[in-house]
Parts: sequence; structure tokens; C-alpha cells
Amino acid sequence: MTTETARHAHPIYFIGAFATGGLLTFMVHLNGELAHYGNPLFSSWAAHGTGIIAAVILLLLVRRRRTPTIEKTSNAPLWAYFGGISGAATVILTSTAVNSPLGLSGTLALGLAGQVLFSVAADSWGLFGLPKRRPDIRDIAALGLVVTGGALIILFGRGQA
Amino acid sequence: MTVFILLACLGGILVGLSRQLNGRLSISTTPLIASFWNHAIGFCVLTVLGLFVGGLLPAGAAEAPWYAYLGGPIGVIFVAAGSWAIARIGAVNSALLIIGGQMVTGVALDYVSAAPASFWANATGIVLIIGGMVLSRRRSKTSRSQE
Repeated sequence: MTTETARHAHPIYFIGAFATGGLLTFMVHLNGELAHYGNPLFSSWAAHGTGIIAAVILLLLVRRRRTPTIEKTSNAPLWAYFGGISGAATVILTSTAVNSPLGLSGTLALGLAGQVLFSVAADSWGLFGLPKRRPDIRDIAALGLVVTGGALIILFGRGQA
Repeated sequence: MTVFILLACLGGILVGLSRQLNGRLSISTTPLIASFWNHAIGFCVLTVLGLFVGGLLPAGAAEAPWYAYLGGPIGVIFVAAGSWAIARIGAVNSALLIIGGQMVTGVALDYVSAAPASFWANATGIVLIIGGMVLSRRRSKTSRSQE
């Protein structure tokens, strides 16, 4: 599965992914607010708890409209369920790093770097059962532009947040 | 200091790993179900951790405004959307666009809430980001370069 699929993917996926990033801004803002009143662990714990409730409500809404028949072809391997562990660990790591000399901006910038490096590795080798898509020179250039722009905003743009 | 740098990088790597795993799960189920499991498992892990470390129910929590608790429901959509995207456009494109979207809206939010910000750094950053996003889409036609 191919680079071709990625190349001719419908623009809606790209718009969707961009909008997803916008959601992240509000999520981080609200969770930060909650951490301010409590602590980072509580904030993430509460967000996961309210998230479960929201997910169940959404699943019920979707199920009501569509008959719950969809037999998917293959079962997911057990490890595919462990994304939540990785997400929970992120909270601990980043809240530790934020309170170090790195501060918020340093933590964000380095996190950006980690995320980008992982995504290149994941696509190059098709890690964890997702399609392999060898990033070409333009992918890397695009990534370079986005990371540079992101670092500029994080490190110099957004005041001393 | 090196330890903290590694921790911060690892934090980013785990964000990518989480999206990759949830994306894989969403192929066998649906993005929303993947998001549900992400939150359910994460909640269990954090509960266990909180029972050991303490601080799960801090005193100030009751004083937080109600909307501060909306981060969780937004997160459900975020994880579902990320799983949906990564299975279709790959990890690099997903990371690139999600980061781009986060940065652009983050700057917009700063301006709306009148947080101190450096105009030129932000403007340059946004131009670079948009350039990167356009470049990632441009590939579709067989490289019609401008040179």
C-alpha cells in the first residue's frame, strides 16, 4: 500500500487532520486549566474519565443510526489496544519536563522533534501494522518547514508562556 | 538536563506511538472505538498510578470551572480523528498537519486572548507551516516544479 494512495488521498483527510490539530489547542488549553486547579495527574485522569463517558455517548448515538452489524475483517492484535498506556505515559513525561529548566516552550519544541522523528520512522518501516509509505524528499522538506515554523512560534513567538 | 531533554523528546515519540497504535486499532474497529479504548486503558493506568503516588483528588479540583472538564470529550474527538487520518494519509502527513493546525490555532488563540506575542516570529512561523502543508499536497501532480 503505497505511496500512491497517500498521494491521491482526498483533500478531506488533509483538512480533517489540520482541524484535528486545532482541537488539540483547545484540549491542551482546557487540560492546562484543570491542572492549574488540581495537578497534571488529576487533569489527565479526569480528562480520560470524562472522555470515556463522552465516547460511550457518541458510540450509542452512532449505533442508533447504523445497525451494529459491521463485521470487520481482521481482529486487532492485543498491543493495538495499548495506545492509551502510551498516552498516559506522555502526561507524566511532559509534566516532569515542563517543570524542569526546559519550561513549557522547550518541552513543546522537543516533543515536536520526537513526534516528527517517530512519524518518519513509522512511515518508512510501516511500523505497528500501518501501511508503509516511504517518505520522499518533498515529505521531508514539508516536515522541515512545518517543524521550523513550529519551533519559531514556540520558542520566539508566543511570549514567555 | 540531558535527562529532561530526553524525557521531552520521548514524550513526543509516545504521542506518535499512541497515534500509530490507535490508528491500527481503528482499522479493525472504528476510529471512535479506538478512541474509547485509548481513554479506558489510559484511565486505568492513571488510576493505578494515582493510587500509588496520590494526588488523584486534589482539593482545588472542585473550584475549577465546569468547562475545564471539556478537555476530555474534546480529546475523544481528537484521538478518533487522529486514528482516522493516520490510517489514510500516513504518519508523516498526519503529524505535519496536526502540528500545523495546532500551531496556527494556538497563535490565533493567543491573539484573541491578547497574550503577549511576537508578531514577526509568529507570522514567519505560520508562513513556513503553510508552505510546508502546501508542499505536502503539491506532490499529487508529477512534480511540476517552478524552477
